[in-house]
Amino acid sequence: MLGKTDKSAVGFVVAALIFFFIGGLLTTVVPPLVDKSWSQPFENHDPAKGPTGKLVPLNAQQLQGRAIYVREGCWYCHTQQTRTLLADTKRSGWKGVDSPISTPDEFVYDSPHMFGTKRTGPDLSRVGGKYDTQWHRTHFRNPRDLTPGSVMPPFPWIVDNPDEFNALVAYIQTLGRCKDWRPDNDYER
Amino acid sequence: MPAPAHVSALPYGGPGSVSPVESIHEDTTAKWFMLSAISYFFVVGIVALTIAAKFVWPQLLGTVSVLTYGRLRPLHVNGMLFGWLLAADMGLAYYFVPRLCGVKLWSEKLGVATAIIWNIIVLGAVVMLPMGLNKGWEYAELPSVLSALVVVAWVCFGINVFATVATRKYEQMYVSLWYTMGTILWTTFVYATGNIAVFFTTGVNQANLNWMYVHNAVGLIFTPIGLAIAYYFIPKASSTPLYSHKLSMVGFWALAFVYVWTGAHHMLHGPISQWLQTIAITFSLMLLIPVWTVVYNFFATMRGQWYQLRENVPLKFLMSGVVFYLLTCFQGPMHSLRSVNAIVSKTDWIPGHAHMALLGCFSFFAIAGCFYTIPRLFRTELHSIPLANWSFWFFMIGGLGFFVTLWLGGFWQGWQWNNPSIPFIDTVRALKPVWTVRFFSGILMFLGITTFLYNIWATVIDSQGKARSAAAVVNA
Repeated sequence: MLGKTDKSAVGFVVAALIFFFIGGLLTTVVPPLVDKSWSQPFENHDPAKGPTGKLVPLNAQQLQGRAIYVREGCWYCHTQQTRTLLADTKRSGWKGVDSPISTPDEFVYDSPHMFGTKRTGPDLSRVGGKYDTQWHRTHFRNPRDLTPGSVMPPFPWIVDNPDEFNALVAYIQTLGRCKDWRPDNDYER
Repeated sequence: MPAPAHVSALPYGGPGSVSPVESIHEDTTAKWFMLSAISYFFVVGIVALTIAAKFVWPQLLGTVSVLTYGRLRPLHVNGMLFGWLLAADMGLAYYFVPRLCGVKLWSEKLGVATAIIWNIIVLGAVVMLPMGLNKGWEYAELPSVLSALVVVAWVCFGINVFATVATRKYEQMYVSLWYTMGTILWTTFVYATGNIAVFFTTGVNQANLNWMYVHNAVGLIFTPIGLAIAYYFIPKASSTPLYSHKLSMVGFWALAFVYVWTGAHHMLHGPISQWLQTIAITFSLMLLIPVWTVVYNFFATMRGQWYQLRENVPLKFLMSGVVFYLLTCFQGPMHSLRSVNAIVSKTDWIPGHAHMALLGCFSFFAIAGCFYTIPRLFRTELHSIPLANWSFWFFMIGGLGFFVTLWLGGFWQGWQWNNPSIPFIDTVRALKPVWTVRFFSGILMFLGITTFLYNIWATVIDSQGKARSAAAVVNA
């Protein structure tokens, strides 16, 4: 069959598309049909099964903050996934408590997804509730004031715009909160 | 089996010689695409250097929102991918497809229109991406209005290539034609997945589509069109027939089958089904088959011809590109092993790897193609061969400096991350020297781009001057 594709353009096109679509369909269309956890929002009320909690969609202000996170390209340097690596669960942890790993059901409302591919700054999948608004204000104005050695850019145009700043912080505080895993010492409380 | 007769029958004649077959080609489209691509290479090179500098001096231009890292990085990536590399590759395809078919390009008018649309897309990206109009998916950042234009331009390109192939004089199709046609077919679906299908999904499902696109943007767009160029220009530049037509078929069909399965390897250890990760790993390892058959074919073609590398600048770029291809495609499958991935994933190793693929390999192929074709398209000789040699060494030394320091730095960073007793900020501080070397390597690469741009434009301007003085002699 393939010998003929050498001489016939039509034969070539048919063969090239068949080869492509076998893998294409099996790896994109089939997996969500097989794995329901990709589309079922996280919800657990039984502590025996792991951290409890419930995933709820973001409100209007948090969505505005998320749009700013997308616009400024925060996701180029910050991942949002605590991987199945011991070090990740420790780095995403807080006050000596390890973070649970990220699972697909925590992200079903996310679009565009913000998993990220590069970790120039720390992972943000469990950052919600760890730092208060004043910390974020100082940090966004100049990250090096709080973290000497940081290479994060300053974002004065966000800090100077209370509407945008509050929205962005509201979004950041939601990250990783659907699973109730942290020790009880929120700055917010 | 040697390359089909028509490939070696095409004129090899030195620069400036025009055979009767050669003279049927107008090549307006090829010229437009290549010259604009080379100009964007330079412009986006400035952006690249700026974002590299921001790692060394994080305050640099920091209070200007349109020049912040998060706005310039998508411009760097999309500008290099679409403004430079894909445009140059398409320009080269407009050059070799008609020659391999033995007929004129089906429609130069359609081709020029495609080039104009392409320029609108790139200029639109230069304005819109720094404004923060970013769709939020890697490699698919372009606002929808621009990605719709990409689809239009791609369909025009496809129609032109397929119509040229349909009217071809030579029955047997050389491997460069298959790779070009494969690129056009697959890209249509890959691009639609990454830019349209993602809108109808969320979360992990969307990420899976996004990474199918990201991976195949390299694997099924830049790889096949890049190999089409290498398969055409390696035999041409060395005046040697391709070692094996049959082996090239094995490589092609293996690539067609294997590449599309591997997208999920971008989420190893992440929140995606383990079985899908395992499938992606298995097929990533199988990638070694198409890669090694292709590389063997090129090396075997060069048997007894290696001495040509001393003088022949396009061949230098081509064969260095082949070596980078071999290396980058060895790294890729190795990264997909869970144990290696736990160290290198998300680190600075990855940009080192990605730049070896897109700069070290595919841009080297495209640069070689431009150095080979531009003097022929303008019926003249290259402005300066010594300067072209300088370009090569700027790219080579700058590139190696960039790749190697990022690999070392990234591996080190990965080890540090895996020891949670090291605070994260210390792993950032540790990379400062690496980023400084990266910036200075970037300067060398930028000098490579600048000399390349100057050489090409000087060649074009020289040819216009010569044409004018020739006309003056005739009129005198």
